[in-house]
Amino acid sequence: MKLASIPVCFLMLLACGRADEISFERDIRPILSARCVACHGANKQKGELRLDAKRLALRGGESGPVIVPGKSGESLLWRRVSSTNDDERMPPDGKPLTAEQLAALKAWIDAGAVWPESDADRAAANDKRREHWAWQPIQRMTPPNNEHPIDTILKTKLHANGLTMSPEADRRTLIRRLTFDLLGLPPTPEEVEAFASDRDPQAYEKLVDRLLDSPHYGERWARHWLDIAHYADTHGFERDQRRDNAWRYRDWVIRALNADKPYNDFLRDQIAGDVLRPNDPEAVIATGFLAAGPWDFVGQAETPSPVLKRLARADDLDDMLTQVMTAACGVTINCARCHDHKLDPISQREYYGLSAVFAGVKRGEREVSAIEVRDLAARKQALNAELQQVRTEQAKLSGRHFDLADIVGGGDGLGTGKLGEGIDLITGKPQSAKRGFLEGAKPNIFARSTAKFVDGVVIPDLSPEGTQISSTGLKVMKPPRTSGQAWDAIRFGPVNSHFSTKLDGVDYAADGHTLLSLHANAAITFDLAALREAGAPAEMKFTATAGYFGQTPKNGASYFVYVDGELKANQKNIGRDDGGLAVDVVLPSPARFLTLMSTDGGNGIGHDQICFADPWLVAAQPPPLSDADKVQLARLQQRRAELEKELAAFPVPTKVYAVITETPPPVKLLKRGDPEQPADEVSPTSLSCVSGLKPELGTLQSSDGERRKAFADWITSPANPLTRRVIVNRLWHYHFGAGLVETPSDFGLGGSQPSHPELLDWLADELLAQRWSLKAIHRLICTSAAYRQESSRRTRESSVTGRGNGSLTTSATTQAIAIDANNRLLWRMNPCRLDAESLRDSVLSVSGKLNATMFGPGYRDFEYQEEYAPVYRYITPDSPDLWRRSVYRFAVRTTTHQFLTTLDCPSPANLVPARNTTTTALQSLTLLNNDFMLRQSGYFADRVKANAGTEPTAQVARAFQLAFGRKPTSVETAAAVSLVQGRDLTQLCRMLLNANEFVYVD
Amino acid sequence: MWTDYRSKSDRSRSRETSGIRENTELSGVRLHQSRRQFLWDLGGGFGSVALASLLHGDRLLAAEPMSSKNPLASRKAHFAAKATNVVQIFCPGGLSHVDTWDYRPELERRHGEAFDAELGKQTFAGVGGNYAKSFWKFRQHGECGRWLSDLFPRLASHVGEMAFIHSMQSKSALHGPAMFMANSGFIRPGFPSMGAWVTYGLGSESENLPAFVVLPDTRGLPPGGLANWAAGFLPAVHQGTVIETSAERPPIADLFPPADRSVSPDAERDGREFLRTLNVAHADRRGDSLLEARIAAYELAARLQMSAPEAVDLSGESAATLKPYELDDPDVGPFGRQCLLARRLVERGVRFVQIFCGAENTSSKKIRPNWDSHEDIVRDHGYWGRVLDTGASALIADLKQRGLLDSTLIICTSEFGRQPFMQGSQKGRDHNPGVFTAWLAGGGIRGGTSYGTSDDLGWHAAENPSYSYDLHATALHLLGLDHEQLSFYHNGIARRLTDVHGHVIRDILA
Repeated sequence: MKLASIPVCFLMLLACGRADEISFERDIRPILSARCVACHGANKQKGELRLDAKRLALRGGESGPVIVPGKSGESLLWRRVSSTNDDERMPPDGKPLTAEQLAALKAWIDAGAVWPESDADRAAANDKRREHWAWQPIQRMTPPNNEHPIDTILKTKLHANGLTMSPEADRRTLIRRLTFDLLGLPPTPEEVEAFASDRDPQAYEKLVDRLLDSPHYGERWARHWLDIAHYADTHGFERDQRRDNAWRYRDWVIRALNADKPYNDFLRDQIAGDVLRPNDPEAVIATGFLAAGPWDFVGQAETPSPVLKRLARADDLDDMLTQVMTAACGVTINCARCHDHKLDPISQREYYGLSAVFAGVKRGEREVSAIEVRDLAARKQALNAELQQVRTEQAKLSGRHFDLADIVGGGDGLGTGKLGEGIDLITGKPQSAKRGFLEGAKPNIFARSTAKFVDGVVIPDLSPEGTQISSTGLKVMKPPRTSGQAWDAIRFGPVNSHFSTKLDGVDYAADGHTLLSLHANAAITFDLAALREAGAPAEMKFTATAGYFGQTPKNGASYFVYVDGELKANQKNIGRDDGGLAVDVVLPSPARFLTLMSTDGGNGIGHDQICFADPWLVAAQPPPLSDADKVQLARLQQRRAELEKELAAFPVPTKVYAVITETPPPVKLLKRGDPEQPADEVSPTSLSCVSGLKPELGTLQSSDGERRKAFADWITSPANPLTRRVIVNRLWHYHFGAGLVETPSDFGLGGSQPSHPELLDWLADELLAQRWSLKAIHRLICTSAAYRQESSRRTRESSVTGRGNGSLTTSATTQAIAIDANNRLLWRMNPCRLDAESLRDSVLSVSGKLNATMFGPGYRDFEYQEEYAPVYRYITPDSPDLWRRSVYRFAVRTTTHQFLTTLDCPSPANLVPARNTTTTALQSLTLLNNDFMLRQSGYFADRVKANAGTEPTAQVARAFQLAFGRKPTSVETAAAVSLVQGRDLTQLCRMLLNANEFVYVD
Repeated sequence: MWTDYRSKSDRSRSRETSGIRENTELSGVRLHQSRRQFLWDLGGGFGSVALASLLHGDRLLAAEPMSSKNPLASRKAHFAAKATNVVQIFCPGGLSHVDTWDYRPELERRHGEAFDAELGKQTFAGVGGNYAKSFWKFRQHGECGRWLSDLFPRLASHVGEMAFIHSMQSKSALHGPAMFMANSGFIRPGFPSMGAWVTYGLGSESENLPAFVVLPDTRGLPPGGLANWAAGFLPAVHQGTVIETSAERPPIADLFPPADRSVSPDAERDGREFLRTLNVAHADRRGDSLLEARIAAYELAARLQMSAPEAVDLSGESAATLKPYELDDPDVGPFGRQCLLARRLVERGVRFVQIFCGAENTSSKKIRPNWDSHEDIVRDHGYWGRVLDTGASALIADLKQRGLLDSTLIICTSEFGRQPFMQGSQKGRDHNPGVFTAWLAGGGIRGGTSYGTSDDLGWHAAENPSYSYDLHATALHLLGLDHEQLSFYHNGIARRLTDVHGHVIRDILA
């Protein structure tokens, strides 16, 4: 069609000369969209005609083609809209098209009906996949009032299949089920007894409420969410470095869930908290969600190769994007990275549209509050300023001092030097003229100085021969590597183009202070012997406030102080933020040379303005003081000690591993997903297949914050049918062991169909009605009869013996298994194996060793060894600080935890919507023989002894109660007593922790 | 009474459980009891019930659906297999093809010329250098006349068994991602490793040992760590089980209680018996095959306690067998032991054995702990070359002598190669994902052949460029598996080891 239209179009252009003025997108599509598409579009296709997509419009409808390029007279479209017959004219309702619109349409068709196919066309033409249930609006269903809505819906389907629900489980089973489900821990025997004997008809509902109010609820359910976020405390990949402040996000999730933070806000903060409420530390911490996944240090930072960096960043963005879209919307967006999604109506362009949402987001450690940073910095500056003042006062009381700045200025150290004078780094001679970049300066050439008390100067750099620092040939063997360049001269006062003489609010150019500027790279050696000859004391002290006086908050400049070539003081990579740094170096009587050095970190000498303020040589022993001076000195000493103490313990700003926002770079569609094959630029957009929402999320110019805000709005819009369906299904999945949709992170065409679509929608709708309260949905689910059912498949014993009236009969069970072996219709509750973390927590709970401390940095049950790739060696957790709940474990991404991994704890490399449950011989070995399990068995036995005394029957009873929440039968008692008497209690406890009844919850 | 609670057969069986006692006496040493007796004692209860699992996501996979009872039950291949077992030797760090397997005469001619400076910036370290010919002399060997460098004098005598893929490439120049690609087909972590896919597709041949065993270097784990043999989203039962390579430690973690917490054999027996009875009664009340499977898993665990120490006990090996492995050599010995263990494991039905010839990079070692020879290739490749040459040649000869080579596929690879030029002024070479060599030998392989080439300088792949996809597709093919059919649904996609790529390299098949 397109090919055929080209020559026609060309001819028409020549013929009528006005066709070039018609633009389909500008002139025609708006007419079609406004007046035609309501009946001839995605929702309605009257006459089987669609005018919202090129391919479909040109194909025509029931009556054949409606557009004949070049021939408006033969085009049904034109004939119908221009008809004067009211019954024939389109659109049937409202006013006819205007004369202008008609003219435009006619001209367009006559010019060849040029319709450049756009994404919208392609998307609109996209087949039936767009009708997939998950993209459609949520359907509200009104259940009858007389029953729990969940049960009404489930029973209808069960009955339709000839099935009924199983009877309600007994109370011991129910409290165990609920406690494990909501808290991830077993109930105490006392709680079991209290509930079993509670006569309150509302006892169950009250139990549900009590558990939902427990702080352990947040710990349990945060674990589920952290699975979905693939959270860990290290970067992963080859150099699996630590993220020491990632835990704040984990704590945020626990707190948010405990507080029942509305789910829409829960998501909004995690996606865009830092831009929605930049001054709220909690909102900033919430964005730890976006940063939770792995990060390749080698690919993103270490390698200098731009190709490798682009690839690593593309993978990084893919991880972030996939995490958010699968977690919140159950959309497997990652499948559209290299080509259009094979199953879902998601184009590759849409993938990059979403990628553009996160293009300005980097993972990284950051401060949680700019206000806190500012306040702390101000406080620290004030303390530092006072400290420097105190030090200066102190030095003044130490008697006559020799000022090295004065000496650099050509003076005798006692005030005869000239401010602004300096010493030339190449010649070692006095230098009055202002100089800039020292052309021709070479490193490691020591220049003897003619200045009084100055031995010489040198530009330092790392070299195999070392750096000579004195006229006697003293050498510093390993100065840092530098650029080998130098600036201006060593000066009394500021150097040329000095940024500021102030630091920590103290102006060192003011009276009473002096400044020795040692712009990198430079070193100067003073001759102490000569000074002594001139009257300086034998025993001296060098005191100064060293610092970075340039502009940069964080910098790579460093200073070093040597005495006779031995390093006595230094600070590396200091910037303006570091403030003034106290230098106090003892100069004993044999010491001859004092060397001060500054270096640039090897990256050039821009901004490397190191200075020594108040660089004085004072007597080591202060001279006799007047009484008033003594009092003053004591006061200064005390104040100095206080200040130093406070500064030493000065808090660092609170940090979190979360997101750092930047101006988004242009995002381009990458052909075949290859970063080296960029195509056109893509603006931030979301999925067009989701009905009821506009996909546009901004423009090419939108800031990172605008993009993420728009995206957070899109995700949490009440009109988004995915977000609410996905979360209620996740809750259902965790409560029942399988979701209504069995693929909790894939609601697309490749995922499973909902077993009860109307129930899914009712719950999703109820979430909105309950103002996005997750606890409300928990309460609904847990109080249903479906949730309270028995889980046993074998009820025939009870039926045969007459126990438990109302139990399913043998034939009913057999029938149910025949009809619905996988229990999709929920004719019974699903039993569940404890997940790895719950199992570990339960062992600790039963042994009495669980440390219930909440929040804070994760416990580290490993030895850490600093290496190129750090080494994490796991140890047996055998102290209270390591007996915290598993959710507080410092999770190492690459070195997975052997004990937990064996028990099916997934690797945080993966997004985990559902835990695998496997049964293996290695699990048996681990539960039997792992050092942790054996030690805990011992503690369990100790606890039983402490509770029940030495009588074996009482011990057995207590052990069963603690492990299973029930008393042993007489048969079990006999066998267990025999084991205790024949062997020991620890052996019994070890086996109880290995029992099926312990690891399976009914 | 408790005893009345059990069935008659249970009671009769409990008298025969002395096997446990003997078993627990071994504590890492030796077992005197016959295997058959032991199995009889422990295997009876649930008869054919072995492992079971509640599997999420297991939809369509191998030729035969996964048994609901035993995910490791031996499964039919898609078609007739040429090999039943795999030994993969992985040389982490980046083995330099131009100094070893891939003879590039043009490189000798260009020796000393400078490599393009701009292109040099794109390498991992970001500096080019001068072209450098191989640090070891190349010679032709065997009837096939394959060229091999003098770094591998012993393997040279096996070139007639080996088939080389000279056009391997990687999608990453970084150790971690490239390791993941070589092992799982993806440069990101989280995907199942080749060994996991193979056991997922074929199940286990052995009832007493894990199907997929990993033998790490004694110096530590390779770059990327455990992720290299992870099951990813496949059920955990398919992940590689690490068998301790050093003789001093128990072969499998938690195989026995730690020495300072040992349990007496009698107590162990009574405890296990109590546990079994408790579990049987519980399963009886509940009627769930999952519970029975868990009981069976404890029985399997007991069998593993016997078979694992036996598998790593080398005392029965003849002096003639041991000699070529040079176990007593402090440098070469540990890898020799890994190779010998691999042979013993294959003999005992372990499906997939992965050996690592090298560990993670650490800064503190004098000689690099793997093949990552940035600063001194003669020092590091010189060291590791002798290690690989000794162990791998001994393994090939040993398997061949026992008639196992025909059914065992040996794969030797690295995550990438090294550059044909020096890294700046260093005496080593930088990473080269553009081309490297892998070789295969044994089951179904036509020895003395090669496939693909690098360009004249060994810088990029030239003829028939290949990726791990092709190597994996070929290996799966030899095992009777179609790499396009072996898939597992995960988060929206039926995932494969070979992603959406992969061709069986038929040129090197027998």
